[in-house]
Amino acid sequence: MNTKRNENEFEPKILGFLCNWCSYAAADKAGTMQKPYPANVHFIRVMCSGRVDPQFVLKAYEEGADGVIILACHPGDCHYKEGNLKAVGRHNMLLRLLKQFGIEEERCRFDYVSASEGGKFVSVITDMVGTVKELGPLCLNGK
Amino acid sequence: MKIGVYFCKCGTNISDRIDPQKVMEEITKLKDVAYFETVDFLCAEEGKEFLEKDLKKKKPMRVVLGACSPRDHEKTFMNVLSKAAINPYLMQMVNIREHVAWVISDICKASDKASAYLKGAVARVQLHEPLKPEELNVCPDVLVIGAGPAGLKASLSLTEAGRKVVLVEKNPVIGGMPVRYEEIFPNMECGPCMLEPMLGDVLHGDNSENIELLTLSEVVEVAGYLGNFIVKIKQLPRYVNPKKCIGCRECIEPCPVSAKNEFNCSLDERKAISFAFSGGLPNFPFIDDKVCIRTKGENCRLCEDACIVDDAIIFDDKEKVIEKNVGAIIVAVGAELYDCSNLTNLGYGKLPNIYTSLEFERIIASNGPTEGEIQGFGKKGPRSIAIIHCAGSLDKNHIKYCSGTCCQSAFKFNQFISKKLPNTKIFHFFKEISVPGKETFQLYNKALNNPDSMFIRYRNINEIDVSIENGRLAIHYSFSSGKRCKSTADMIILCPPVIPSSDTAELGSILEIPADRYGFFEELHNRVDSIQSKLKGVYLTGSCQSPMDIQNAMNQGLAASGYILSGLPEGKKLEIEPIIASVDEERCSGCRVCNLVCPYKAIDFDEEKAKATTNSVLCQGCGTCVAACPAGAIKGNHFTVEELLAEIQGVLT
Repeated sequence: MNTKRNENEFEPKILGFLCNWCSYAAADKAGTMQKPYPANVHFIRVMCSGRVDPQFVLKAYEEGADGVIILACHPGDCHYKEGNLKAVGRHNMLLRLLKQFGIEEERCRFDYVSASEGGKFVSVITDMVGTVKELGPLCLNGK
Repeated sequence: MKIGVYFCKCGTNISDRIDPQKVMEEITKLKDVAYFETVDFLCAEEGKEFLEKDLKKKKPMRVVLGACSPRDHEKTFMNVLSKAAINPYLMQMVNIREHVAWVISDICKASDKASAYLKGAVARVQLHEPLKPEELNVCPDVLVIGAGPAGLKASLSLTEAGRKVVLVEKNPVIGGMPVRYEEIFPNMECGPCMLEPMLGDVLHGDNSENIELLTLSEVVEVAGYLGNFIVKIKQLPRYVNPKKCIGCRECIEPCPVSAKNEFNCSLDERKAISFAFSGGLPNFPFIDDKVCIRTKGENCRLCEDACIVDDAIIFDDKEKVIEKNVGAIIVAVGAELYDCSNLTNLGYGKLPNIYTSLEFERIIASNGPTEGEIQGFGKKGPRSIAIIHCAGSLDKNHIKYCSGTCCQSAFKFNQFISKKLPNTKIFHFFKEISVPGKETFQLYNKALNNPDSMFIRYRNINEIDVSIENGRLAIHYSFSSGKRCKSTADMIILCPPVIPSSDTAELGSILEIPADRYGFFEELHNRVDSIQSKLKGVYLTGSCQSPMDIQNAMNQGLAASGYILSGLPEGKKLEIEPIIASVDEERCSGCRVCNLVCPYKAIDFDEEKAKATTNSVLCQGCGTCVAACPAGAIKGNHFTVEELLAEIQGVLT
């Protein structure tokens, strides 16, 4: 390939969960605005952030993700009334669990992005990638 | 499994930023991928035609489409799959345009990311199940709660379209509040004249046989869901047979007892057998058993003796509970006014000649307690009347919002007073003036141009003090500068804000629909869906949803009937989207966690079996219960645990 790459730079793998109505639409908005952001985050679409089962997050780490990000509708904007509030509750619970596995809190981020916030989406994603880059690769079970 | 993958180049939108060749090499390595096709514009007519033909020819078991956002074209391609006789849910769309091509500048990284997404889709789609919309029989009849402008309009338009309506009204008369107003803003039309044709249509019109009117009735229990509600209605005894009574009023005069008439804001009295007010429809009286001396053991039969027809009075009439099956419910229970006695500084309820806007409406109504006369001030009437706007509105200590109708009532009063009592001065004390729209400014202009009308802007309602000085009402107030001033009036009309009626909360709990922060019924969405409640099949109309004027209430009544006519089609089955949750009884432990998290009350609990069951009509497919179930007993169609885990694994490896 022609592009120059720093072979030494750590490129984290991050999994993102997006709800169909707000954060997925924000990612679409970032796309139509053609606002570039790092390629490290792979998104999974769910209908509601309330669908994000803690086991999905654990599966992501197991499959080699260095970080996970869950993006929901702002409080009060949830298409399903309050699924986002369920999601934030589960995220809080997850953080306590992850601590026991020795996984840093910063590797599991929760944030709110509305359908119109293409700009915020890009900055949240860029910030997450920067954070995980600084933390370095996630090592589980001595791997 | 034979999986067909299509890669849309979207002209050059995708193929300039993602290398289709590189992606193809990666994807065709996968075991189940049978072929990989590159298409110029998949969503164009030629693209869709190609896709349909290609699917018919190659007959893949699953389809993966790398293209734009599924929010754009998922439905488009699902339709193509259906045309090609493939279940549309056996497809997974991958957003390689918005989420890859347009945001990743490095073609190598972009191609890798597109490949990862496609791998995730290939892994997931293998687990997809063919899904079909469920079809349900529905009851097309409608329950309308409240026979004011919104409820009447809805009932009439539904019956005009051939529907049957059960119209429940808690009062003995129909027409809501405006039928009690002498004149209606902005055109100073007579309220009863404007509404009586509608009331007539409900009672005796072409479609009235399809309206079952239940007066003195309240909804006490509701079960079921869109298309199939079972409703229990409690009807209080009227003691008068509407089929026999001819409305001649002969029974009223002989009645020996009376009580305050709440239909005239308790400004006069009515007999134990009475009409709410003259001209009130339906035109037959009712006996108030809390007033009638028969309930106190006396054997009075004076009304019956005076009655000129046989069997019109039924002394042994009983309370009834009526059960109805309906497909949809329109809530049109209206609102009430903020209690002005909360504004203690204004003297309401303590000092004489201080009335609320509703009381003044009744005073000036020719069917009201004084037959439209402002009494007690001689022939010339009061020297001056003060109208205090925003009596509790836009005030953090009282009601935060502006009702948007009180100013118009105030200027209507201005017009009425200046016509009826040309020597009376009118003071408008206001915090803000609100006269939006193309018509409402006219009465405001008339008041502005009236030499006998004065406008005084006060700083804060709490700084107004009303007292009696020299036998007249003295109003002390502060200007915005803080300067104190005094005006004198003989009468004060308070214009308080519109608030939810006192039975809103109870009805809300019966219907299981939530209230907003002010206590009005909460809309599904306050801009794009203000007619739908948060519960499917229950619609909100008129001032129980928000303060509003008659025009808006009528429009909402029509809108709700439109929703029902289009969404609950008669003779057709209701189609339920298949992306919903279902409970595996075997695995359900009966913990009820799902009951707690479901925002739509779509999960029932079978007490006998101690198992949860989902209601496919109410379920919106958010998947919150699926994630919450500790036993993994709930399956979320098209977003199953297995599908999502496969996608996660596919994307990351």
